[in-house]
Amino acid sequence: MDSVRSPDAAPIPVKIVVAGGFGVGKTTTVAAISEIPPLTTEAEMTSAGVGIDNPGHRVNKVTTTVAMDFGCVTIDRTLKLYLFGTPGQARFGFMWDDLVRGALGALVVVDSSRLDDCYPAVDYFEQSGLPFVVAVNAFDGVLANDLESVRWALAVADHVPVIAFDARERLSVRDALLVVLDRALDRAVSGSHS
Amino acid sequence: MTVPPGQEPPGIRPYLRSPAAPVSPAPPAAWNRPAHRAPDNLRPYVLTSGRVQGDDPAVNLETQVTIRPGAPPDAARSMPTELQAILATCVSPVSVAEISAQAHLHLGVTKILVGDLCAAGFLDIHQLEVDPVHSPDVILRVIHGLRAIS
Repeated sequence: MDSVRSPDAAPIPVKIVVAGGFGVGKTTTVAAISEIPPLTTEAEMTSAGVGIDNPGHRVNKVTTTVAMDFGCVTIDRTLKLYLFGTPGQARFGFMWDDLVRGALGALVVVDSSRLDDCYPAVDYFEQSGLPFVVAVNAFDGVLANDLESVRWALAVADHVPVIAFDARERLSVRDALLVVLDRALDRAVSGSHS
Repeated sequence: MTVPPGQEPPGIRPYLRSPAAPVSPAPPAAWNRPAHRAPDNLRPYVLTSGRVQGDDPAVNLETQVTIRPGAPPDAARSMPTELQAILATCVSPVSVAEISAQAHLHLGVTKILVGDLCAAGFLDIHQLEVDPVHSPDVILRVIHGLRAIS
């Protein structure tokens, strides 16, 4: 659309999705590394809501407003990384499709004492083929289960990294994102023939 | 949800009635309403005349948007405040998600309105020439940039 690059030209935006259940530390993760305080946007989602939040007479469709927190890191003047924290419920599939389109990869944040919260996210990313990393948030530096137990419980493939990190620590979040980017690089290299 | 009796078939929400699926972008008719403050309980898609699909599927959360240079400043003043709020956030490059957060508009609504404003000549939507997902160079630059964080 614009071919002239002025000093004020728009940067190339790239994004990484930060997923996981409620209260596992998604927003904390985004806040730890974002150069701006996380912003919140609201999106209205429509999805099949069979058996969940039964809305009475409106049977087949549920419209829900979900909040999504996000932040960004300016890599340089022409490149900007966005981090989107997503609501974790499986029934918000519509939003995830939108989010995942064009994403480099995903960090699935896990509370090791509540593993089942992350099943929808792991299922979704496995099916969509998005590179993802399972990052166990070590609340107060303690893991309720060791990483091998987490890997066994989630039954993720061997090539999916399972790591421990601290969502409050900028460098720990940075390192977790670097693992995601490593996987993203693998995908990009294997997908291109040059 | 109250529908005036006898006017519309039941089950159709009032804000979805008109107009019938505009094919061409940006019906500026929606902008002709007085630029007063919308009531707080306004349903979000009233602003888009009931459209729930953006005109441009390439507009994504992170897509960058800027004011188009030379856009007529006078025309913007007669717009609804929501559109003026969008224009105000786009003075420097900004993502659709940031516009949504700063203008306090639903994400879906924001995408549609940004598409409208682009079609009407007020905004530029910066489409990427290369998908970063398939670009090892871009990913390596992100990696190097993150490593520099301390």
